[in-house]
Amino acid sequence: MERLGLSAATRAVILVGDYGSGKTEIAVNLALQLAATQAYPIAIADLDLVNPYFRCREAVEPLERVGIRVVIPQGGHRFADLPILLPQVKGLLQNDDQLAVLDVGGDEVGSRVLAGLVKAYRQGVHELWFVVNANRPFNDTVQGCAATISRIEGASGLRVTGLVPNTHLMQETTAEMVGEGIVLADQVAERLSVPVRMVAVMESMADAVRAHHPVLRMRRLMVPPWLRRDTVQLGRTGPEAFRLRST
Amino acid sequence: MAKKLMKGNEAIGEAAIQAGCRNYFAYPITPQSEVAEYLSRRMPEVQGHFVQAESELGAANMVFGAAATGELVFTTSSSPGVSLMSETISYIAGAQLPAVFVNIVRGGPGLGGILPAQSDYFQATKGGGHGDYRLLVLAPATVQEAVDLTMLAFQLAFKYRNPVMILGDGMIGQMMEPVEFKPPPPAADLPSVETWATTGAKGRKCNIAHSLFLDPEALEKNNHVLAAKYKVWQKDEIRFATYNLDNNPRLLIVAYGTMARICSTAIDELKQKGVEVGLIRPITLYPFPAAAILQHAKKIGKVISVEMSMGQMVEDVQAAVGHDIHVGFFGRAGGIIPSPDEVVQALEAELRA
Repeated sequence: MERLGLSAATRAVILVGDYGSGKTEIAVNLALQLAATQAYPIAIADLDLVNPYFRCREAVEPLERVGIRVVIPQGGHRFADLPILLPQVKGLLQNDDQLAVLDVGGDEVGSRVLAGLVKAYRQGVHELWFVVNANRPFNDTVQGCAATISRIEGASGLRVTGLVPNTHLMQETTAEMVGEGIVLADQVAERLSVPVRMVAVMESMADAVRAHHPVLRMRRLMVPPWLRRDTVQLGRTGPEAFRLRST
Repeated sequence: MAKKLMKGNEAIGEAAIQAGCRNYFAYPITPQSEVAEYLSRRMPEVQGHFVQAESELGAANMVFGAAATGELVFTTSSSPGVSLMSETISYIAGAQLPAVFVNIVRGGPGLGGILPAQSDYFQATKGGGHGDYRLLVLAPATVQEAVDLTMLAFQLAFKYRNPVMILGDGMIGQMMEPVEFKPPPPAADLPSVETWATTGAKGRKCNIAHSLFLDPEALEKNNHVLAAKYKVWQKDEIRFATYNLDNNPRLLIVAYGTMARICSTAIDELKQKGVEVGLIRPITLYPFPAAAILQHAKKIGKVISVEMSMGQMVEDVQAAVGHDIHVGFFGRAGGIIPSPDEVVQALEAELRA
């Protein structure tokens, strides 16, 4: 548990951050690794009400296979772009017999959903972690990150309790880039007095990254349809295979 | 500018800014709303204008007005929204004005769904709006290509004084990939707008942007002017990419956008089984790379069109190769993206046929 940046009292980790910071990938990986510790029953909830594709509801099968409870809209609404907040989500925050990971939609627009959960949220038991990818527009400076955090806190009515640097450029990620992302997160941490809780990094690169924080070693699970889960090979049919060859 | 990780929709917005466009009028619709969201933040930073219109009709007509002044202008929408814009697209083509329209396609017909599709091929390449007009239609397969083609679209729109369409399936708009923004050609390279733009008539003859020609001789003359431009496109603007055509393939795939990427994965898998299949990926859907398809189809003998639709581009592929060569078809619709395995099976079935 501590290896994953969590204290023994933690019963829910709510992940927020800008679009593309990697919340969903982290939520799914974190849930899988927490399930592997067998300390608690694990639940994951998809609160992404704003992003129509690449939501964690797309990774339901591998999660349920290892006994993780997946809370998502059912039936036809699974593919809707409607703001559906399930009553079960509040239940997750009230149930201390399990550990829940909540994947929230991007930016302050996606975080607005949390305002409906403020009463159920308990300081010290529930965590609100800000995921940051320094390669995303508007999040490449301390100022930019602070502004995004401030907007998310304003929309949700909750305070961010931890930072999770997840700097990457998909197949073009380098260990150096990940390191620079950690430096940026440390600067944001100092400015806002919010600790870095863990560093998210792909398994293949984890050994090359020097981090003084807990490390979440990730597998890429949210993949586009032309790549396969678990067999994602660097650069195989990525964009570089598709350079313009006009005639 | 260092590489950034961007969603296709954001990248298209940034590409327009980098191309020099400071005028964006739009109405939100999934799966392209992030363009508006991104530009609502970015346009003010560059002293540009973003107006969220009351509807797609309003947005398209704002584009018409801005285009008439000789400014760079664009809008983005998704399938049902583009249907609403189609009347104005016809007007803009008739009035010979430059404008860029982006369609991030979702499943249809009607309101359909919000998942990715390629079922607006007919709408983009054969009209949508009324009258004898054509759009130059560019189909990106990666987020980087969406950036490059958006920047190119403004150049082409001004070069030909004609609306240009970026046709991306929902996946192109929603997925994230690393992108870089190469410096665009300087705005000074755009052709002069003096002879046609409504920039104030002081000291010169009045320019009027219109598509109404009540005199049939004048209207037919306008039709001929447009037709002459479209003829030049057939010579100068056809773009396509190829994959695995040099290994004596036994089957030729024609696919574009996201579907072409899935096909390339399928091609890699068949190669491991010892079966060679080649791909032509049209980058311009109009003008269509018919001659290249015919040339390779003659050599290979077997052709299949693979689409995220019930079969639209397949008609142009068949027209390109003539009726002596059979063109097969495989497609999924409704927002379903076929898996590489499904495509492999479809290709194997076609090879057995």
